[in-house]
Amino acid sequence: MHYPFWDQPIGYGVLMAVIAVFHVFVSHFAIGGGLYLVVNEQLARRAGDTERLAFLEQLSKFFAMVTLVAGALTGVGIWFVIGLLAPAATEALIHNYVWGWATEWTFFVVEIAAAMLYFYGWKRLTAKAHLTLGWIYFGAAWLSLVVINGILTFMLTPGRWLVTGDFWQGFFNPTYWPSLVLRTGVCVMLAGLYALLVASRLEAGDFKARTVRLAAGWAVVGLAVIALAQAWYWKAIPAAVTARALETMPTPVRAIVLSLWLAAALGAVGMALVILAPRRFGTAAALAFMALGMAWFGAFEWSRESLRKPYILTGYMYGNGAEVAETANYRRDGFLPQITFRTGDDGADLFRHACRSCHTLDGYKALRPALAGADRAYILALIQGAHLLRGNMPPFLGTPREAGLIADHLYQRTDHRTLAAIYPLDGLALGRRAYDLRCGKCHAVGTASDKAKSLAGQSAEDLSGMLDMAASLGEGMPAYTGDAAERKALVAYLQTLSQGGKP
Amino acid sequence: MTLPDYHFISAPLWLVTALHLLTLTLHLAAMSCLLGGTLIALWAGVRKQWPAPDAAGFARVLPAATAATVSLGVAPLLFLQLVYPRQIYAATIVSGWFWLAVIGAVIMAYYALYRTSFQAHRTGQVSLGLLALAALGLLYTSLVYSSVFALAEQPDVLRALYAKDQSGWVWNPAVGAYGLRWLHMVLGALTVGGFFVSVLGRKSPAMAATGRAALVGGMAAAAAVGFLYLVSLDTYLDTYLGPYMRTPAMPVLVVALALALAALHLHSRKRLALAGLCLFLSVFGMVYLRHVLRLVRLRGSFDLAAWRIAPQWSPFLLFLVCFILMLVVLVWMARLFFRPEPEVETQRKHQP
Repeated sequence: MHYPFWDQPIGYGVLMAVIAVFHVFVSHFAIGGGLYLVVNEQLARRAGDTERLAFLEQLSKFFAMVTLVAGALTGVGIWFVIGLLAPAATEALIHNYVWGWATEWTFFVVEIAAAMLYFYGWKRLTAKAHLTLGWIYFGAAWLSLVVINGILTFMLTPGRWLVTGDFWQGFFNPTYWPSLVLRTGVCVMLAGLYALLVASRLEAGDFKARTVRLAAGWAVVGLAVIALAQAWYWKAIPAAVTARALETMPTPVRAIVLSLWLAAALGAVGMALVILAPRRFGTAAALAFMALGMAWFGAFEWSRESLRKPYILTGYMYGNGAEVAETANYRRDGFLPQITFRTGDDGADLFRHACRSCHTLDGYKALRPALAGADRAYILALIQGAHLLRGNMPPFLGTPREAGLIADHLYQRTDHRTLAAIYPLDGLALGRRAYDLRCGKCHAVGTASDKAKSLAGQSAEDLSGMLDMAASLGEGMPAYTGDAAERKALVAYLQTLSQGGKP
Repeated sequence: MTLPDYHFISAPLWLVTALHLLTLTLHLAAMSCLLGGTLIALWAGVRKQWPAPDAAGFARVLPAATAATVSLGVAPLLFLQLVYPRQIYAATIVSGWFWLAVIGAVIMAYYALYRTSFQAHRTGQVSLGLLALAALGLLYTSLVYSSVFALAEQPDVLRALYAKDQSGWVWNPAVGAYGLRWLHMVLGALTVGGFFVSVLGRKSPAMAATGRAALVGGMAAAAAVGFLYLVSLDTYLDTYLGPYMRTPAMPVLVVALALALAALHLHSRKRLALAGLCLFLSVFGMVYLRHVLRLVRLRGSFDLAAWRIAPQWSPFLLFLVCFILMLVVLVWMARLFFRPEPEVETQRKHQP
């Protein structure tokens, strides 16, 4: 609330994901790749394998280009982006963990220096000195993960920190160790994937076969570690968090979990193929595996972010920057006195600070189409019952007057015509659309709040009567405010709901 | 349940300030070598002043200077955000797209310098186009930093700009408030870059001459522009001249100028290590002045003393140990890499 709001058209989640997924994919490779290089250099030197050493030198050039430039800079990029998108959360993290970050920086400096000297040292240094630099590089890179992992996991599971505010209790939180093991597995897997990409360009022959097999072996070992650690990680998350997520946002979470296992299975099968037929392994296949790895990692990070909802710092700060500790103040005085940077349009300012960090009007999680055909009273009810809606949304903590200002702001920007006028639909199709607008924002089919079974067998009159007294049916239920045509279509649709919306 | 409050600084202010000033000086030194060195190499290339092998040799150093600049830039920004979050985040958000584009600009400059470096190694020639591209990226970055951090010191302007435009496409319109400051910084980079060139090219008369010219000319111009910048701030200084004078700023300015002149003198006597130390300390003095000036300009809207101090000593000690270890390892690695080792020639690469 104390900061201006960056009102850019791309959704905050999208912008963050684009930079973050790319960065984590490169940064974990920066760790695993370092281990891959130095371990293999050691083995190659011991065996007198000059061909392998030449390959490793080539790989180290690719490694340096990817990690030193793209890896380091996108890491800074994430820092820039979180400061722009979530300044209050960034401030809270920096104030609590500045010495963690500063410690991570010391490892980062050593990592960068060692990577450059290792890369430039192939022709300049003795074998022993070169290997020493390689180990220093890997050690520093992994230690930077050891530190940053504490801050990352803190955001999802702050544990006892919420009570004590103690640095170490927040740092070594419930998901710290499983996450560290999991991310170490990711590093090893990605080292294999990147090495496969470089190896895929080698000329066919025994050396290529050996190299591909070795790189694939790394990827498989990494995958195995990931599979075990992921189960451990899931169990370490407090049950209340996972249960809440599964209950109110089952689709994305289930899809993510499924995609994780699918990706792991696909990766394992793919790697088995690579091990069996390494000579035929081409660049296209290597790129496909890279894409698979990136998709998996993106899905994992997405699941982590999703699970945290409605918070950005679990139990401490909501995704829109509202602080849990300030709840009473917000409810008493409202958001507006807290908003330092004002534009003169209170409705717009409130919308930005309460909703806009997740929703856009027309892009990501767009509200204009979602609210098309809704009247002001219904929009107001949605705002005031935001915490009851699907998707684990934060509660609206402002005053009733402020909720009205946001409702006005949104109503002025949405299509006021009836659903039948907006969409050329009638009958069940129109009813389904009405259900999505009026009911589905809480009672999505297949979720814990799915009411399809309880509606089975009810007459049109009963259902219409139920709509009349909707506001009294439960906490946060809005009154039914649609027109007669919409009501008729909705009732018809509700009658078919237990059969999946089919006549 | 009472939740922990995050509005605190986890070490005494003097300690955080000292770390900020030290790490910012290190960053500025590396950045000046990079920006100044790139501009000087470009200038020398256009005028064909340097023999090709010397130019190629210098181009190969620039990626390392970039790595040093980026990695040393993290800590001062961290400490800055720790103490001035309200000012820094607000200014970066108002100019969000320009701020974010810094990442792209630095990546572009970095890759351009790497490509130039590899090309120079392979062909012995330096690509002026790539150097120009790198210079463009670096100059953009420096201009955004000057613009945004100047904006951070003007909370009223910041509020007025945000009220008109929330898109993140706001460029600080008060060019007078940061134009000279940016120019001073670029000229300072040319000065330090000149020293850097003259040290690396001490065996090349052409490089040494260019470096010397940049060092002397850059320092004179930087001093003149710096003075103009201070004068341009007279509206602030008129109001706050008293408080400003009561700080050690003026004595520090005098000492910093004396150190800069001493660096010139020592450089002319070929006492490069001592000259470098004087130049570094002079930059440190300027960084301190910059710090005082920020406090003066924020007077009325921000008070350092208002921060609650709640030290976290055990994490700080961990950082301190790691920081010392970092310095030790860096020195050890540099010695390992640069020490003359005759046997290396006989133990060439790819040897088990």
